[in-house]
Amino acid sequence: MLRPPPRFADRLLEWFCAPHLLEEVQGDLYERYVRDLQRSGTSKANRKYWLNVLRFFRPFALKRQSSDYQLNFFGNPVMLRNYLKIAWRNMIQHKSFSAINIMGLALGMATSLLIYLWIQDEFSVDAYHANGPQLYTVMERQFFDGKIEASPSTPALLAEELEKVFPEIEHAASLSWEQTFTFAVGDKLNKEIGRSAGASWFTMFSFPLLAGKAETALAAPNNIAISRKLAQNYFGSPQEAMGKSIRLDNTADYQVSAVFEDIPANSSETYDYVLPWQDFLQRNEWLKDWGSNAPVARIQLRTDRNGVSADPAKLEAKMKTFLKRYNPSIGKEKFDIQLFLQPYQDAYLYSNFKNGYQSGGRIEYVRLAGIVAAFILLIACINFMNLATARSVKRAREVGVRKVVGAARSLLIGQFIGEALLLTTIALVIALVLTALLLPAFNSLTNKQISFPLINASFWITLLGMTLITGFIAGSYPALVLSSLNPIRVLKGTLRFGAGARLFRQGLVVFQFSLSILLIIGTIIVYRQIGFIQTTNLGFDRENLIYLKGEGELATNYTAFKQELLQKPGIQSVTYMDGSPTNTFGSTRNVQWPGKNPTSTLMFQFSTVDYDFTKTLKVNVTGRDFSRDFGMDSTTFLINETAARRIGYQQAIGKQLTLWGKTGNIIGVMKDFHQNSLHQAIEPMIVKLSPKSDRKSIIVRTQPGQSKQALASLESVWQQFNPKFPFTYTFADQAFQKLYRSETIIGTLANYFAFLAIFISCLGLFGLAAFMAEQRTKEIGLRKVLGASVASVVALLSVDFLKLVLVAILIASPLGWYAMKQWLQEFAYKIDIEWWMFPLAGLVAVCIALLTISFQSIKAALMNPVKSLRSE
Amino acid sequence: MKRTYLGEFEEVVLLTVAVLNEKAYGVAITDELDRQTGRSVSISAVHAALSRLQEKGMLYSHMGDATAERGGRRKRLFTVTALGSRTLHDIRSMRDQLWNSIEPNALPTIGLAGS
Repeated sequence: MLRPPPRFADRLLEWFCAPHLLEEVQGDLYERYVRDLQRSGTSKANRKYWLNVLRFFRPFALKRQSSDYQLNFFGNPVMLRNYLKIAWRNMIQHKSFSAINIMGLALGMATSLLIYLWIQDEFSVDAYHANGPQLYTVMERQFFDGKIEASPSTPALLAEELEKVFPEIEHAASLSWEQTFTFAVGDKLNKEIGRSAGASWFTMFSFPLLAGKAETALAAPNNIAISRKLAQNYFGSPQEAMGKSIRLDNTADYQVSAVFEDIPANSSETYDYVLPWQDFLQRNEWLKDWGSNAPVARIQLRTDRNGVSADPAKLEAKMKTFLKRYNPSIGKEKFDIQLFLQPYQDAYLYSNFKNGYQSGGRIEYVRLAGIVAAFILLIACINFMNLATARSVKRAREVGVRKVVGAARSLLIGQFIGEALLLTTIALVIALVLTALLLPAFNSLTNKQISFPLINASFWITLLGMTLITGFIAGSYPALVLSSLNPIRVLKGTLRFGAGARLFRQGLVVFQFSLSILLIIGTIIVYRQIGFIQTTNLGFDRENLIYLKGEGELATNYTAFKQELLQKPGIQSVTYMDGSPTNTFGSTRNVQWPGKNPTSTLMFQFSTVDYDFTKTLKVNVTGRDFSRDFGMDSTTFLINETAARRIGYQQAIGKQLTLWGKTGNIIGVMKDFHQNSLHQAIEPMIVKLSPKSDRKSIIVRTQPGQSKQALASLESVWQQFNPKFPFTYTFADQAFQKLYRSETIIGTLANYFAFLAIFISCLGLFGLAAFMAEQRTKEIGLRKVLGASVASVVALLSVDFLKLVLVAILIASPLGWYAMKQWLQEFAYKIDIEWWMFPLAGLVAVCIALLTISFQSIKAALMNPVKSLRSE
Repeated sequence: MKRTYLGEFEEVVLLTVAVLNEKAYGVAITDELDRQTGRSVSISAVHAALSRLQEKGMLYSHMGDATAERGGRRKRLFTVTALGSRTLHDIRSMRDQLWNSIEPNALPTIGLAGS
C-alpha cells in the first residue's frame, strides 16, 4: 500500500475546497505526492504536499457551486416571491382589515415619531457646548427656619472670587437676569432683551463669534456683544457692526466689540446682546454686597493635559462653606448657606429642587412622553396581533398545506414576521408623510422649532429599529401560534383554537382600553385643573389691566404722566409697583415686630407702590389704602392677610412693624392675592409707599369695554412724555396665561394623545367585531329564524366586548388616580380628584366602544337569515 | 475582431490540453508544461486556469478513470471545444499576419542556427 500524504493537510483541503472540485484536485495532489516520494523522500514530499494544498487557497477552489435547490439565507427566490404574492393577496382580499392594521400602525408610529423628535429636542437643549461636560452652575443651599431651599441665585461677586481662589476652576462667569433696554442707533429705536455676563462668557460657552474675539468681547465696561440679528437690524452686517456705538436707554453709549451667532432655539437662556459684568455692577450698586443675591454663577472645570477634568465632587466639598468668609451672618441663628454644583447640561431637564436637593423637573415630562409614545405604539401593535390571531383560523389551512409540502417551522415564522414587517413598512411610509405634515402644527403647539431630520443618520437608524421592533412584536403571536399548528388536524378541519387564544385576545383588548381610559382620566383632570386656574379668584381683578414699564422720562415725570393719563378717556386708575402682581417682586427677612420670636426668619414678599394700589388692582382692604389725605403715609405699611396671620396679629390695623430698621404703623390689611403662579402658596406680603417710580411697572386699569380708547390714550400720552422709548405694554391677562404655558401644552397634548389612543384602540375593536360577526353569521341566522329580535342579537354581540371595557375601567381607575395625584402635587392650589371622574372616563370609553361595535353588530343582526344560512 | 480574451498563461494551458489530446488532466498538463516550456508551475495555478477556461467555454471536461496512486480518485479529463479551437486559430492567424507584415530587416538579427 502506498504511503498516504500528511493527514492534517488532507483534512484542511477537504474542509476548504469546494465539494465539486475536491475529487480531481485531491487526486492530482496524491499523484504528485507519489512522484515526489519516489524522487526526493518523505520529508520533502510532505513539505511539497503542504505547499501544494495551501496554494489551492484561491477563490475558484473556495467558491461553492450554486445549486438550483439550495436555500440561501433569505430562502429560495421562488419561495420568497410566493410569500410576497400571498401577503399581497391577503392584503387585497381583506381590504378593511389591512386598512385598519396599516392605519392604526401608521397613526401610532406617527405619534411616536413626533414624541421621539420632541424628546430628542429636549435632550439637545444646552447640550451643544464644546466645554459642556466641564460646565457647572454654582448653586446655594439655604438653611433657615428649619427649612432647606436650593437656589441658583448667588452673590454677584462670587464667580470672579471662585476663579481666583480655586485652581480647579479654569474660567468662571456670572450671568444676569433678562434686561430690557431701548437701543438707539441713528433714528432706529427699539426695545431689546439681553443679559450681562462675566468676561469669560464666550470662552466658556460655544456661541460662534462672527466678529470680534471671545477673550476681548466683554473686556471694557462700555463693550457690548450683540447677536447677528441685532447686527443686521441696526448696521446691515456683523462686520459693519464692529466698533460702532449704540445708545442704551438714552443714557449711555456702548461699543460693539463682538457679534455672536443668534442663540439657537434649543437654549434655555436666550438673549440678543451681552453687556460686561463691571457695567452691570455699576448699574446695580446693591449687588456689590456679599449679602445680596441675584445672578447666576457658572464655572468651567480645569482639564489637565490628558483631557481629564478636575473632580467636581472634591471641588464641591472644598467650596461648601466658601461664602462664610465673605458674609458673616452665615452660620448664625440657624441660618446657613452652602454652595454646591449642578452640571450645566442637566440644569434644563433637572430644575426642580425639594428640600434643597435635586428632585426631577422637566425630565419627568420627557419620561412621561416616552412612556406615552411606547404605549400608543403598543396599542397599535396589539391591534395587529388581535386581528391576525382572529383571522388565523382562515390562514390555518394555508399553514397546513405549506407544512404538508415540507415547510419548516422556521420558514413559516419567517413568513409571518416578514408579512408583519411588510405591513409595518407600508405603515412607516404613511407615518413619515403624516409626521412631515403635522410637524409645523406640532411645533407651534409645543413652542419648538423641530425640523424634519432628513439627513440625520441616527433618525433613520431609529426608524429602522422602530420598524423592526414593531414588526416583530406585531407579527410574533401569529407567527408563533400559526406555525405550531398540527397540519393533520388543520386539514381535517377539526382545529379549534382553545380558550387560551381567546383569553389572550381578550387580555390584549383589556390592556388597550386600560391605557386609553388612563389617558382619558388624565385629560379630564388636567383640563379641570387648567379650568380651575383660569377661574380661580386671584384676589385681584386681572381683566382690563395693562402693565407699562417705568423708564426714561416716565421715571422722573411720573406724577405729571399719571395726571395727564387720568384726564383721558378709557382710563380708570393708575399706580405702580415692583415687578407685576403675578410675578415675584422682591423679598426680605429684615422685618421686626413687637413680640417676634428672635429665631424666626420669616420671609416677606415686598413691593414699593404708588397711591391707588389697591384701587387699581381691585384688592379688598380692611382699614384703608395709602392716601394723600393722611400726610404720614411715607412710614406706614399695608400687609396681606397671610402676613397678619403669620405675625400673629388678630387686629393688625394700627399695630407696629419695623422694616429695615424703620418703624411704622399698619394701616390696612389686604385680602390675599396670588403673587405667583398657583404652583406656589400665597406668601406674607408687605407693601410700602414710595415716591420713586424708576424701573417700576406702571399698572393702568382701563374702563371695561373701552380698551381701544384706553390704548389710544396711553399711546398718545406716552408719545408726549417719553418719545425716546417705543410704546410697549402687556395685558395682565396675557402675562397670567404665560405662567401656565406648559400646563396648557400638556393639557392639549394629553387631549390629542387620549383621542389617538382611543381611536387606535377602537380601530382594533372595529376589526374584531367585524370578525366576530362574520364568524357567527350562521348562529345569528339560526337565532333569527327561531325568532330572535334585532335588539337581542345586537346585545349578544356587544356584551362580550363591553365586559372587557368594564374590566379595563376597573384596572385603569386606581392607576389614573395615583398618577394624577402625583401630577397635582406640583400645585399649591389644586382641584380635588373626585369619584365621578372615573365613571365618566369609563362611560366615555364604553360609549365609544359601543358605537364602534354597534355598526358591525347591527349590520350582522339585520342580515337576511335566508342569505346567511344558504351560503355554504 | 471580437473574441473572448485569453491571457498568455491561459493560451499556453489551452494549447497544452490540445497537445495532450484526450489525456489532459491537472498533473499531466503541469508536467507537459514543464517539459515543453521549462516553466515550473503549481498544480493549483493550472487548476485555476482550467476552471477559468471552462467557464469561458473553451474547454469541455468529463470524469475519467481512477488509479491507485490517486487513492482511487478519478481524473477530470479536458478537451478543447470548438470555441477553444477557433480562438487558438484566431490568435495564431493574428500572429502570423503580424509576422508576415514585418519587413525582412526590421528586426535586429540574432544568430539563427542553420541559416
